[in-house]
Amino acid sequence: MRHRRALVVTALLLAGAIALGLVAAGCGTEKAAAPAADVHSQIARLQRSTNLLQRQIDLANGKDFYLVLDPAAGDITLMLMGAELQRYQVLGLQVGQPRVAWMTRPDPRAWQDIVWAHGELDPPRQIDRFVMQAAPPTKEGTEATPPVPPTPEEMYPVPSRYHVRFDDGLSIEIRPLDTDTEAGRFARLRAWFTAKWHDAKDAAFDRERDAVRLRIALNPKDAASLYRSLPPAVRLLILSGDQKTAPAVAPKPAEAGKPQAKSAGAPIPKN
Amino acid sequence: MDPSPNSPTGRDVTPDTGGPEPPRAAPPGAAPPTAASAPLPVTAPAHVHRLGRLPLDRRTAAVAMSAVAVLLVVGIAWAGTGYHYDPYIEKPAAVTGNVPTTDRELKQFAARLDRRSRELTAKLKATAPRGVYIVIDQTQNRIYLKRDEETLLDARCSAGSGLVLKETGGKNRQWVFDTPRGRFDVLTLLRNPVWAKPDWAFVEDGQPIPKNPADRLESGTLGEYALYFGDGFMIHGTLYERLLGRAVSHGCIRVGRDDLRKVWANARIGMRIYIY
Repeated sequence: MRHRRALVVTALLLAGAIALGLVAAGCGTEKAAAPAADVHSQIARLQRSTNLLQRQIDLANGKDFYLVLDPAAGDITLMLMGAELQRYQVLGLQVGQPRVAWMTRPDPRAWQDIVWAHGELDPPRQIDRFVMQAAPPTKEGTEATPPVPPTPEEMYPVPSRYHVRFDDGLSIEIRPLDTDTEAGRFARLRAWFTAKWHDAKDAAFDRERDAVRLRIALNPKDAASLYRSLPPAVRLLILSGDQKTAPAVAPKPAEAGKPQAKSAGAPIPKN
Repeated sequence: MDPSPNSPTGRDVTPDTGGPEPPRAAPPGAAPPTAASAPLPVTAPAHVHRLGRLPLDRRTAAVAMSAVAVLLVVGIAWAGTGYHYDPYIEKPAAVTGNVPTTDRELKQFAARLDRRSRELTAKLKATAPRGVYIVIDQTQNRIYLKRDEETLLDARCSAGSGLVLKETGGKNRQWVFDTPRGRFDVLTLLRNPVWAKPDWAFVEDGQPIPKNPADRLESGTLGEYALYFGDGFMIHGTLYERLLGRAVSHGCIRVGRDDLRKVWANARIGMRIYIY
């Protein structure tokens, strides 16, 4: 009897020890899994960061003009060979996808972490060249006086909104913020209807055009400046938020009178 | 439809055939209708409803209703066609490629990536121009003097007019006065530059092209200083400061006297010029 009791106590102690061991082992596994997950996320961030850095270096070593959109810093910079040419403050950034009869058509193509190529203005900037036929040469000379050209503002009227269309159905829509409020009610309605008509046409009938569209709101002066001076065949790269190092790019303090930058995902008011 | 005396109700009840009522012939010998005995206005048959002043039969009503319904459906569909916008959200980073499985190897892998990231960052910074550089916006006719993120000068200039000049007689040559885009380096710095007028300058002025190179030289036209950056292009002064801000040059960049002095103060051989 006594021997039997001792056996039961021993068995109970053994079971308790095993249970404790299992609990301890379980806790240990959780503790080990947490750092592994951290390392994995760190690796993912580093991989993306190095990938984007490599792409920036490739762009800087090329001869094409390129735009670098930094949603975290809230700006878009026109660059050439690593040099910052012009920087514009982004007041709002949205991602648009085509929708037909209330059914959104998500597009599987990759658009982040890649270089968008061959961006062209739509509507294009019209260049009217003046052709001058020189007078036949004489000893006295007859100086041909070409007309004084208009200012850039007169020469290149900026549409209320415009696109930069890239290869593979990627595009950006530049929208000057607050210009619509200055326009009359009829002008706003007309602009809204025209935009809606074109959007509906593109979404319904042209699958390859604007499959992914980034809508960028700029202040009107910047939007006009970008339209007037954007070089042809421009490229675009979107930086990631976890990329700490950008090429000689640091956010400027907001100028007096200029609206403060909103967060990159800030909504853009509709007209 | 006069009341019939034979009808017990005093009304002529005729079966409704659905078609239009045939006109009745007047009895023989009857007098022509006068104003007093003129027939009463014809009332609409039972199957025709009035919608305001417009008589509308059932078929027309059905077609109209269908059209309205179709238009409504198309309108609702059109309203929901276009682009749907969401705030920009960065897609979460995901591990790509083969990644080691053990903790130790993972940490080593991450360290290698970190090192690579630092190397690339340094490499990228090396692509940026060092010191002061010139940026020219040729469509808006602006010249900037920059150093890192600092803008030292923002001034008006005049870039190429884009004009096409055609020679009459001679070789029938043609010149396009565009400013080139791209990156250039300052090759020569010229104080009190003398302009060696090219052929087009004589063609434009309607003068014969001189055979003696000395006859091409003209001083004072290019201002106090000139920064030559290749292919006959320069940043120089101008006699026509009132035209600054407009595209009037033959491809060179014309700058006002005071601004040119600031550019000259920072200029050096090999200085980068970016024109867009």
